[in-house]
Amino acid sequence: MRIRRLVAVSLLALGTVVTVPGVAHASGSAGEISECLLEKAEELEAKEIDAATFDVEAKNCYAAPSPLLPATGEIIWGGIAFLIVAFGLIKFGFPALRKGLADREAKIREDLEAAEAAKASAQQADGQHESIIAEARTEAGKLIEQAKADADRVRAETIARAEADAADIRARANADAQLATERAMADLQSQVAELSVDLAERVVQRNLDRDTQKALVESFINEVGGSRS
Amino acid sequence: MTVVAELFPNGITELFEWKAILFEGSPFALNKTGIMVLVSMVICLVIFVIGSRKRALVPTGLQNVAEAGYLAIEQQIAVEVMGPHEGKKWTPFLASLFFFIYFINVWSVFPGIQFPATARIALPGLLAIIVWLVFIGAGFKTQGPLYIFKNITPPGVPKPLYILVIPIEFISKYLVRPFSLAVRLFANMVAGHVLLTVFAVMCVELLKAESGAYQIAFIPLPFFGLLFMTAFEILVALLQAYIFTILSAVYIGESVHPEH
Repeated sequence: MRIRRLVAVSLLALGTVVTVPGVAHASGSAGEISECLLEKAEELEAKEIDAATFDVEAKNCYAAPSPLLPATGEIIWGGIAFLIVAFGLIKFGFPALRKGLADREAKIREDLEAAEAAKASAQQADGQHESIIAEARTEAGKLIEQAKADADRVRAETIARAEADAADIRARANADAQLATERAMADLQSQVAELSVDLAERVVQRNLDRDTQKALVESFINEVGGSRS
Repeated sequence: MTVVAELFPNGITELFEWKAILFEGSPFALNKTGIMVLVSMVICLVIFVIGSRKRALVPTGLQNVAEAGYLAIEQQIAVEVMGPHEGKKWTPFLASLFFFIYFINVWSVFPGIQFPATARIALPGLLAIIVWLVFIGAGFKTQGPLYIFKNITPPGVPKPLYILVIPIEFISKYLVRPFSLAVRLFANMVAGHVLLTVFAVMCVELLKAESGAYQIAFIPLPFFGLLFMTAFEILVALLQAYIFTILSAVYIGESVHPEH
């Protein structure tokens, strides 16, 4: 507001300045210069002026307006133009432009802040994902370890059970074999006794009754069997 | 310069004097200079008023030109010279000044026109007086009624020396500044315009071959001189607008910052 007032005052003061300088003269054409020179020459010939005055006045014929004197019209139009430019730009052009720049700055700042927040949130989510993955890995490791331990335990149990079963089967087989052997031995003893009695009957021909003979033979076989075992 | 004298029998001022097109004889006489100034005014308004209406997030076209131009003045001149607070406050005035001068200067190379309105003393003088009034007004507003006195009595100077320092400071700060501001812009644009004219006239005169065909061989010299000077004038147009604006910023900054 202060600047606008100052500019307004300056431009008002300009009105005063405009009235000060005189009107600039247009430079004479070639024809005017010749006429002026001719006139002065005639005055010299008629002895109206002396040679020294003629020199001065002849030079004046060539004299053009000084370029250092400002033309009033140019000052006025220049002043009006600058007044309009300054007013138009300071009042309408630049404030709108500044507002546009400020709005853009605000928008860019907001976008940057939003991007920053989004980045932070993404980083946080990323951290969470990483911790979840790490937990999952630990969990998986534990599960694998446990599975290995379980497998080892099951294998050991299976082996132990198999060994126990094998020992049991072996013991049963041994017992069965022992029983079968004993049975076979008993049968053999009986059959040998039968055969021996039959044989002795044939040899002795009724010297002894049958029960006595059989008892003799069995005692004999038992003696033989006892000596063998 | 004989050739130039032949072409311009009424003197070199013929290059700068334009006959009135409208309102001849009145103080409102409108000549080529006045028309250029008015067209430059329209260009400034079109670029900045229309350019600032668009609100695209990624600026293009006029919006881009307006924003880049405004920010360049703000960052490179106003804030750089006057500090962030005062700089941003004064940017609109300085930007108006810069672009108004630039679009007037640049006519010097515009085909068919080739004349900067700032090569007439009226406009640089007018702008210098505006800047002069503005910085003095700003000084009074900021520093109070003793502004002039405060500004011409630098601290740390022995009292007896004030007899010398005060007149020197007063003349250099309040009389020479607007004068130098106006003359610098005016003289540079006049010199550029005369140089372009001289090279252009040399090309035309050599082409006439009145003294023999050998002259044709020398045409490239003024022609490339003309090309170079035209490019240089574009730079000068920008540079002079920049210098005028940065010096205005320095003067205003000095007025609104008493500590300087």
